[in-house]
Amino acid sequence: MAAIAVLPEDVARVALDLPLRANLSALENIALIPLYQRHYDAAESTRQAQAMLDQLGHAGIALLRDPDMTPAERFVTQLARALILKRPRLVIDRPGAMLYDEPYPAFIGQLAAREDMTGTWEIYDFSWNQVLYNQALDSE
Amino acid sequence: MNFLAASIESLGAKVVGWFTVGYAMFAFLAKAGLLLLDRTTWNRATFDVVVKQVYFTAVQILPVFLGYALVISWLIITIILSTARDFGLTAFASEMTIRVLVLELLPFLTALFVALRSGSAINTEVALMQVNNELDALAHCKVPPMQFEFLPRLIGGVVSVVILAGLAGLLALLMGYLAIYGVSTAGFEPYTQTIAKIFDFKIMAGLIVKCALFGLAVTLIPVTAGLETPKKLFMVPVSVLRGMMRVFFAIVTIEVVSLALKYI
Repeated sequence: MAAIAVLPEDVARVALDLPLRANLSALENIALIPLYQRHYDAAESTRQAQAMLDQLGHAGIALLRDPDMTPAERFVTQLARALILKRPRLVIDRPGAMLYDEPYPAFIGQLAAREDMTGTWEIYDFSWNQVLYNQALDSE
Repeated sequence: MNFLAASIESLGAKVVGWFTVGYAMFAFLAKAGLLLLDRTTWNRATFDVVVKQVYFTAVQILPVFLGYALVISWLIITIILSTARDFGLTAFASEMTIRVLVLELLPFLTALFVALRSGSAINTEVALMQVNNELDALAHCKVPPMQFEFLPRLIGGVVSVVILAGLAGLLALLMGYLAIYGVSTAGFEPYTQTIAKIFDFKIMAGLIVKCALFGLAVTLIPVTAGLETPKKLFMVPVSVLRGMMRVFFAIVTIEVVSLALKYI
């Protein structure tokens, strides 16, 4: 856990303590990044956000707001927001806290294995959950 | 002795608290002002959020607000006219109507209306954003909360209060004319002359500045009160309560200072 606290600024985090803006849709939450960081116009930012959701195989959640999402949909939106930041490292911090109703090592594995997915995803989790990752690897 | 010491201590803590809150508010305002002068702030995204804020604060409530202004104006005009007739002061009725309604009462009621509707919502939303770590998440994503969340609300509040008070004032002027002269055009000249006499440059500038300050009070205070909220969900109602009390005192202070500057 100490390692998470000192992560440098070039890390994109997906974590329970970095929630989505509750009154914005999934698409708007993701589109904020190109809109404010790279100064694209609203149409282009929305297109990029939609493309990111398409890439993760969850195009259908674009118009959902945080309270209307399942934990998995919320996680995918947070992940899309972290991916669109295009930072060198992506850290998923305690995924079990966000994906509490999913066998999450397999779920994250499926997302990571999707086409055009680049980079390395680092997962920080409690050591006693190691067995869940071993099971996911064994079943592949 | 203990009671005296405790009282002084409590008073001191309150004074320090007021200064802290005041300093935080002015520091926030200065930051917003500096950002307003920065060219990079004025991108399409910020402009879109400002337009959205003006829509939610002013346009969405327009029918209800105009209905409310109409009823209040009609009531006050009727009271002023009947009192003026009773005291034989009919000649001053139009001037009295304009001064009471357009310059004082309607801007004050507009500020209260926007404070109760939008100010309380802003306070709650910012407090919840603070408690839920949403502001930290925006900061992590390098989306500036000031540009994306706060500045558009401040601009939206100022623009909305100025426009709504202006519309209510125009409506009151029309109602005043109809109540005094009826549908005849005979009173058009004296009525417009009275309006021109009252609304000199100083009064107009003072009215606009007062409305702008009202607009700033009903948005700036709720935003800063929301940001002060400790990260505990049960503190959100306390934050809204504090914020709205401060808004009320700020509105009353602005009105009292404006009256004092005009008439004393």
